[in-house]
Amino acid sequence: MFGLSNPQRFMAFTGPLTPVLWGLAAVLLGVGAWLSFSVPADYQQGDTVRIMFVHVPAATLGLGAYAALGVSSFFALVFRHALADAAARAAALPGAAFTALALFTGSLWGQPMWGTWWVWDARLTSVLVLFLFYLGYMALRASIDDEQKAGRAAAVLGLVGLINLPIVKFSVDWWNTLHQPASFLTPGSSGLDPVYLPPFLTMLAAYGALFAALWLTAIRTEIRRRRVMTLRARSAQEA
Amino acid sequence: MLDLDMTPYAAFVWPAWGVSALVLTTLTARAVIASRKWKLELDRLDIAADEAARPQAARSAVEPKERPQAALGAVGQQE
Repeated sequence: MFGLSNPQRFMAFTGPLTPVLWGLAAVLLGVGAWLSFSVPADYQQGDTVRIMFVHVPAATLGLGAYAALGVSSFFALVFRHALADAAARAAALPGAAFTALALFTGSLWGQPMWGTWWVWDARLTSVLVLFLFYLGYMALRASIDDEQKAGRAAAVLGLVGLINLPIVKFSVDWWNTLHQPASFLTPGSSGLDPVYLPPFLTMLAAYGALFAALWLTAIRTEIRRRRVMTLRARSAQEA
Repeated sequence: MLDLDMTPYAAFVWPAWGVSALVLTTLTARAVIASRKWKLELDRLDIAADEAARPQAARSAVEPKERPQAALGAVGQQE
């Protein structure tokens, strides 16, 4: 695993893996969408239950991408590893997009079910804070010209933001919220009608594969971009 | 059997799926375009660097005289 921290080995390993992930994501998204509109409407929520198949995977990947960003930031900060810095940077945009999708689709789900687009309860607010951490991370990186300084400053912010992840996860248990408690990862029973499990798990896997493909592609692009910058700087020095 | 009649919640279900599809497609297109752009740029610079590293005699033995100048010009355009 640590052998992959060498950019050349990483490029060689992920070269054939990335197209497989893109293909897997496309197939799973197609199958997941078909399954999502094939299951019957919920007896209480009606057809709005189909929003769950895009909302929950987006929220899960929003959290997962930040975990990837935070862990990569730790390695970038402690070991000053360029690939870890590239991995942290590459996770930011997809993570922010997934979190924004979770907020948007959650709002569309909340209006017909709760009677409101938004409420400042612990779960919704902590997810909004997560989105702001993503925006802050990207803004901080963009605001400092020196890439090494930008990487270190952003890594510190990325690590601080990790504190928010357990708050998001356990907010529905620690506080009284309008948002329902965890119903899938509940020990003993999923709490989800078995008829909804195939589309839910397929869409979750599809979003996971898509994030993996996006992340690996972005890391590979970042490695190439840095190589181009190095070659240009070398060429300028020789000229 | 597909059920696409979302009545009375169509105004909530379709925007949720539509915006999700739009964002995921945009993310994918952006990633692929950026990947191709930097790959092409790196390939071009690598070729130019290889050309510059080859001895002048070896270059003129296998290629027309204008070629090295064209390659050097391509590197110069990057600056």
